[in-house]
Amino acid sequence: MTETTRENIVEIKNLTIHYETPEDIFEAVNNISLDIKKGSVLGLVGETGAGKTTIALSLMGLLPFPPTHIYSGELFFDGQDLLKLSEKELRSVRGNRIGMIFQDPMTALNPIMRVGDQVSEVIMLHNRVSKEEGKKMAVDMLQKVGIQPERYNDYPHQFSGGMKQRVIIAIALACRPELLIADEPTTALDVTIQAQVLDLMKGLQKELGTAMLLITHDFGVVADICDECAVIYAGEIVEKGSVEDIFDRSCHPYTIGLFESIPSLERDEKRLKPIQGLMSDPTSLPSHCSFYDRCPKRCDLCKEKDPTTIEVAAGHFVKCFLFDEEVKKM
Amino acid sequence: MAFVSINHLKKYFEVKGGKLHAVDDVSFQIVQGRTIGIVGESGCGKSTLGKTIMRLEEPTGGSIIFDGVDIAALPERKFRPYRQRIQMIFQDPFSSLDPRMTVYQLIQEPILSMTHLRKREEITPRVYELMDLVGLARRLENSYPHELDGGRRQRIGIARALSTNPEFIICDEPVSALDVSIQAQVLNLLQDLQEDRKLTYMFITHDMSVVKHISDDIAVMYLGQVVEKCESKELFIQTLHPYSQALLSAIPVPSLHNRKQKVILKGELSSPINPKPGCRFAARCRCATDKCRQETPVLREFSPNHFVACHYAGQTDLMGTTNDP
Repeated sequence: MTETTRENIVEIKNLTIHYETPEDIFEAVNNISLDIKKGSVLGLVGETGAGKTTIALSLMGLLPFPPTHIYSGELFFDGQDLLKLSEKELRSVRGNRIGMIFQDPMTALNPIMRVGDQVSEVIMLHNRVSKEEGKKMAVDMLQKVGIQPERYNDYPHQFSGGMKQRVIIAIALACRPELLIADEPTTALDVTIQAQVLDLMKGLQKELGTAMLLITHDFGVVADICDECAVIYAGEIVEKGSVEDIFDRSCHPYTIGLFESIPSLERDEKRLKPIQGLMSDPTSLPSHCSFYDRCPKRCDLCKEKDPTTIEVAAGHFVKCFLFDEEVKKM
Repeated sequence: MAFVSINHLKKYFEVKGGKLHAVDDVSFQIVQGRTIGIVGESGCGKSTLGKTIMRLEEPTGGSIIFDGVDIAALPERKFRPYRQRIQMIFQDPFSSLDPRMTVYQLIQEPILSMTHLRKREEITPRVYELMDLVGLARRLENSYPHELDGGRRQRIGIARALSTNPEFIICDEPVSALDVSIQAQVLNLLQDLQEDRKLTYMFITHDMSVVKHISDDIAVMYLGQVVEKCESKELFIQTLHPYSQALLSAIPVPSLHNRKQKVILKGELSSPINPKPGCRFAARCRCATDKCRQETPVLREFSPNHFVACHYAGQTDLMGTTNDP
């Protein structure tokens, strides 16, 4: 897998990102490889501090240097290595060909700018259109996300959380990007509003044929709209595959542990089965398997070296010795 | 007899443009050692309800009978002993702790202000006892909250709440800021404490799977009112109120099987300021008729121990609607 293939809009290869301060090195992303197929939705699931947002920001070229240090890796977007682009070239990609929805709709909008202008701003920045045309396109986009044209001149504080998130979706999709990055798009919203917003995102994603990277900690959201899923732990992808692989044939002890910690609506269980302990400190990650301390199925080998990623079935990858045929033979 | 009995509790706020009905005529009972779950969307008044029962907000009307005494009517001086017996765990473990206090000081604070312990020899063992109880390692006693993760911070909040040996704890979204693997640890801790100490919980949350797991009874709130109330299991077997139905169907289920069709609600919560008569959910309800817009439905016992405030309870199910708009 050296050449970028046509069907993938994004190919991340061996990406390693550290944040470096005089005191500490924070190993946020460690040797991650990840592909997103054109027009498909990839869910990236993990706990707080697992490195999900760092990956998203690296695709957007929004990581601050310093303290960020990209050690190695390539970030192909439609065949171009984003890491090799100049700031000027990056600007024509960011917001135009890659759109992003941020987590907190309360702070992502400019409070002193009319919402309609915030949508038309993006359109006029990336397209050669007149002010009138830009406004017209912004009105169309707002209608697509269910906001009436009368509200074009309102300010963000006049909108509720769900409506603000709709405005942000309109901004992200205004230039019809080929890739949409959604960083916890519904975490700050109520369930009934979350259902509305997910429904809207799913509809627009299908309509515009946009590929999507959906970052979340909620497997429920993944089951709702994703085609593929990757589970990230301490900056490493521990398991990835189709949603069927992850939900019905989950292999990695961490993935299984995550599913078991969610209280079930269908079964009655007296006690939950949490994953013991906490995620290791990213400033001092072990050289062996980073899940070792919390793993219920650990063995001695796990403490000696880091497991390699194994393809257990076509397209289903697991980073665990339990599935390594070479190890089983030994 | 009920240990805690809330009767027609009201809390109105005076705001520009009228009265904001945050909690409007809410009644329920909790038996000692049991848990009631209060669910609803943000802005439905569930946190205000918790604060009003704690007397952090003065009730506008109604009574709060705690262990046979109406604590809503007590003057502050007489209420003070009850603060030991009723405690609260707050939602956000990032902002509910003083950032300049160490773990030891944070747990010591309520012991000093609420209990009779005064001597260092008495207080120190008590702080350690509480830290052991909630699973905080003693080496953390000199750490500050910013050095700890969310789960450990929430454990400090729980230790603080337990420091006065309360009988009734109001948990206001205690796990919603935590990751699922940590959330499960904290929920198990709360359940163990309940079994050991016969604690009574009022558990406020917006997460239906958490509330199903931890509660014996559930009350669903919408715009300051209870719209449905029954045993926890019953709510998931026979959901009567159209709002509860929409709420349950909107939960993203982490499974690819048995996927139900979602009821997507139109619009958002209407304003709780000077609400008009009629059902408050009518504007978003797929079954609403003119009757709903004019007559306020009262909470009635539809089947034994299953209360619902809807004119058409039992005639609305998920797929078919009684009155297609």
